[in-house]
Amino acid sequence: MKTERGVSIDNPNESWLESKGTWFTYVLLITLGHLVILSVPFLKTSTAWTLTNMFHNMSMFIFLHYLKGTPFQTADQGKSRRLTHWEQLNNGEQFTGTRKFFTLVPIFLFMLTSFYTNYDGIHFVFNALSLLGLSLVPKFPQMYKVRLFGLNKY
Amino acid sequence: MAGVEHCPTEGSPGSPYYFQLSYFTIYLTKGIEILEYYTKVPFYHVLFEAVLVIWIYRLITSKTFRFREQKIELTEKEEEELIEEWQPEPLVPATPTYDLDVITPKVVEGKPGHTLKIDDMECLNFATFNFLGFVGNDKIEDTAIKSLHRYGVGSCGPRGFYGTIDVHLELEERLAKYTRTEEAILYSYGFSTIASAIPAYSKRGDVVFCDKGVSFAIQKGLVASRSRVMWFEHNDMEDLERLLLEQKEKDEKNPKKASVTRRFLIVEGIYVNYGDIAPLPKLMELKYKYKVRIFIDESASFGVLGHTGRGLTEHFNVPIKEVDLVSVSMENSLATIGGFCCGTTFVVDHQRISGAGYCFSASLPPMLASAAIEALNIMEQKPDMFDDLREKAKLLHAELDGLQGLVCEGSEESPIKHLRLLEQLETIDDEEDKLKEIVAIALRNGVALTIARYLKDDEKFLPPPSIRVTVNVQLTKEEIKRGAQVIRQAAEQVFG
Repeated sequence: MKTERGVSIDNPNESWLESKGTWFTYVLLITLGHLVILSVPFLKTSTAWTLTNMFHNMSMFIFLHYLKGTPFQTADQGKSRRLTHWEQLNNGEQFTGTRKFFTLVPIFLFMLTSFYTNYDGIHFVFNALSLLGLSLVPKFPQMYKVRLFGLNKY
Repeated sequence: MAGVEHCPTEGSPGSPYYFQLSYFTIYLTKGIEILEYYTKVPFYHVLFEAVLVIWIYRLITSKTFRFREQKIELTEKEEEELIEEWQPEPLVPATPTYDLDVITPKVVEGKPGHTLKIDDMECLNFATFNFLGFVGNDKIEDTAIKSLHRYGVGSCGPRGFYGTIDVHLELEERLAKYTRTEEAILYSYGFSTIASAIPAYSKRGDVVFCDKGVSFAIQKGLVASRSRVMWFEHNDMEDLERLLLEQKEKDEKNPKKASVTRRFLIVEGIYVNYGDIAPLPKLMELKYKYKVRIFIDESASFGVLGHTGRGLTEHFNVPIKEVDLVSVSMENSLATIGGFCCGTTFVVDHQRISGAGYCFSASLPPMLASAAIEALNIMEQKPDMFDDLREKAKLLHAELDGLQGLVCEGSEESPIKHLRLLEQLETIDDEEDKLKEIVAIALRNGVALTIARYLKDDEKFLPPPSIRVTVNVQLTKEEIKRGAQVIRQAAEQVFG
């Protein structure tokens, strides 16, 4: 017997991330950001790609995996007060479309970066570590509500 | 092929490098070269990307799930056993199992004011919370009827959604002025006032210190708040301090958690279920010592305690500004419907967007708000009735002293008294039956009493059974003496 728990309370802090328009805007923003970095004269293409990737991973970590709570009051009696944005997504449901999309984007971005950095060793270290540590591992279902070393717990 | 082996330098005109052509062009024209290019990729990189590709595959094929899903898995045998065990109940039982007083209800006619007309018999009213005798007051009734002709019955919407009418604003202003606070907020139901106010402030992870004797509305508010509740023994300040110390030690161990934990102290002015007064000076001392916010439910003490009826704070001469929030049900002294919270503007205003009862209930019918305004007018015009009420409460307390088999609980000055059994009987039902006997005898002698009734399964700490005797200011001293005499004789008859 499986009991489905319907969620009646809408959390406006996360529901906007589910819309396809947001996804499109998000990809557009990465592209624009990359073009801005690329237009800096003294940066090589490979460095520009690595910077894009690392900026993306860092902002993803800060906005999805570090900042907690909501900017406005929700009707959940403070349930989201101690949850990061990622944990609030889809009310904690794992492997939803939104979660899959936001996991796929950094992976594809890494692959593109690898290609444009010509599979260089040093670039690889920076890109792979930021991908794993800041974007991928915190998204594992196993990391749900896990606070390493008690950091950022309250 | 030479260009592939070193790191590409952009814009170098000589190298036929793929960066200058589009990826697709190269793919279409020099596909084989690309393949060769890939063989130059370091092995660790290939491995890493292979892991990523596997992760992508797993990601796409994974099904959605939730944590802590409640699954009840039964074996076939267990299922059969459950089906065997199940005995269908008839929709209507063959013999009704209702209480005797449900089957033989007493009919009250007219307004439940100074006297009650029960089954065509005129009785003195010692049963309702009409402390100031405002039920059936002609002036209040006239005002309410005038308001009814002007505004109609309902207000047709919540306060924030076309339901605000000038009398609501006027009443809020008058209440704030009367209680000497900055602002008051009006609720449309007395029960939901404190039950909405608590969860508006206290959330998950917060700590609430609460008296074990609080009314049902507060208990429901605490449930809705999802906070951690630490119950202290009824009116036991040492027990409260013990819990506060316990929390303080916890906070010192984990200051990070403590910095995001709010601490509340919730008490009643006069406890409806016990009839005694909260020791406010001691509570204020603890409030400042342990840094907690204090909420007082003055439903039974507003219009009762204090020289001018302003409640518990006036009674103990504590400035009301030092109390964080005062909540009052207008269904007792003010003899109307609804309730209000008052305090500083920034505290009270928070409820206008997060008090569930304020946001999601239709606002108070305007005629009831007008009635409350008129009741406030009378309270301001006749400030001596509060002293009169307390004197009568003291008189009744003295008269009820030393009853046979019963003990009178509650503060002398409180208009609510609880007569409890001196000796405990086997079951609560037995005790209630004894008390009901006394109530029945008193009724035959023209005194209306009631036992205190609770939702027994839902109360957190069920108070022991009692006869709840209340005083209203309209009863004369002779009538109070007569009522006490009737109770005394009834007790003698039952326990003698």
